[in-house]
Amino acid sequence: MAWDWTWRPYVGVWVVVLLMMAGYAKLARDAGGWREVGWRAVAFVTGLGVIWVALDWPIGALAAGYLASVHMVQFLLVGLIAPVLLLLGVPERAFASLQRWSTLHSVLSRVTQPLVAIVGFNAILVFTHWPTVVDALMGSQAGSFTIDMLWLFGGTLFWWPLVAPVPTRPGFTYPLKLAYLIANTILSTAPFLYLTFSQLPVYATYELAPPVGWMTKQQDQQLAGILMKIGGGLILWTAITVLFFRWYRAEGEP
Amino acid sequence: MVRVRRRPAFRSLLLAFLITGGCGPADSVRENVSHELTAELRGTRLANPIQRPHFSLIDTEGVDFDFHVRTEGYATLLFFGYTHCPDVCPIHMANIAAALDRVGWQTRRRVKVVFVTTDPDRDTPERIRQWLDRFDPAFVGLRGSIEEVAAVQEELNLPPSIIPSEPATGYEVGHAAQVLAFSPSGTATVAYPFGTRQADWVHDLPLLVATHDEEALAH
Repeated sequence: MAWDWTWRPYVGVWVVVLLMMAGYAKLARDAGGWREVGWRAVAFVTGLGVIWVALDWPIGALAAGYLASVHMVQFLLVGLIAPVLLLLGVPERAFASLQRWSTLHSVLSRVTQPLVAIVGFNAILVFTHWPTVVDALMGSQAGSFTIDMLWLFGGTLFWWPLVAPVPTRPGFTYPLKLAYLIANTILSTAPFLYLTFSQLPVYATYELAPPVGWMTKQQDQQLAGILMKIGGGLILWTAITVLFFRWYRAEGEP
Repeated sequence: MVRVRRRPAFRSLLLAFLITGGCGPADSVRENVSHELTAELRGTRLANPIQRPHFSLIDTEGVDFDFHVRTEGYATLLFFGYTHCPDVCPIHMANIAAALDRVGWQTRRRVKVVFVTTDPDRDTPERIRQWLDRFDPAFVGLRGSIEEVAAVQEELNLPPSIIPSEPATGYEVGHAAQVLAFSPSGTATVAYPFGTRQADWVHDLPLLVATHDEEALAH
């Protein structure tokens, strides 16, 4: 079907966002109310807003079957920006309550070890951008939703050691956190090179999609690769800068 | 004292910047599109090969184009479509054009792409030319009456195009979605359905061109 700019409702996305909002409202109540939660609520709601924008029309529709570059924008929003905002938004009391569930806490301790987290995130990144996987999953709403959820899970895994206070990792110091982020900027170079410098379109989904705008399929794919590198790099280097100044401030304290 | 304690942070950041800044595209990563000239064609085999048809239609310059004569000695891709087509036609044309850019001049100069409109009411010669130029100015655009085009399609065992009897604004035309590929000697043994990718064209175009040489040697 040719692309047109007629708005279409994405009810499934609204339901997901509303369910997440309802879940957060309960967390906020348990943590002493919205006022108590303060800026964290703003972070969480912004994160939800990012998910909503990324998955709803038009980004959701364009990413699902028209433009690889918009698919990449969706990845940056769902896989890198939303998870950090959602994690920042979780009240500390909610994180602390995780310690009451010993099995869950034990699993979290292992899964969110920085090395496991960075390998897990990049494995998901490669898997969800592998041409066979993309072409197999993007053909259906369920498949597309699976990719979105994998990104959200991978992003949460990646940011967890940096943002979440539980489990505590005193050994994961500021220099190691910076190294963790910098390592990721290097690791994401491989898919960037693959997308940007492939001489032919790698995704049948986008190669055989009705044309949108003036870009050729090749240019669309190259833009996707560049967005991955520059957009992803911008997000990671923003985090590096924030962490660096926190480290700087912490070292300056008596 | 404080300055000394802050240095490791600056040094780490500088080191990180140098490491990541040093990462750029390496030539070794660039793919080389290899043409396995001896491999099978990826197009769909036709049950009955089709000989290059005899028909004449008007090209976008308003000149009579004798298909049989003008495509002799060329690997010829023949496609029936229309310029308002939302998907199949622009995708086929764009993929063929992109593949021709990849296969090199020796192959490219021996391939002709002929587009015949199935929607002559809306597809004026100017519009066809403008539309084809978006893909490749060398593509040939042909136009005839609905009856003339239907006769050619029948000769090629293609289903006739379906134009709505009372066309509304923005109507769509039903048409065959495959590209017929004639070898330079004039036989089409394969067709390329919708879904043919640039990689398939890049693979097959040199083979289609080469069939002429093989046939010439055999004779």
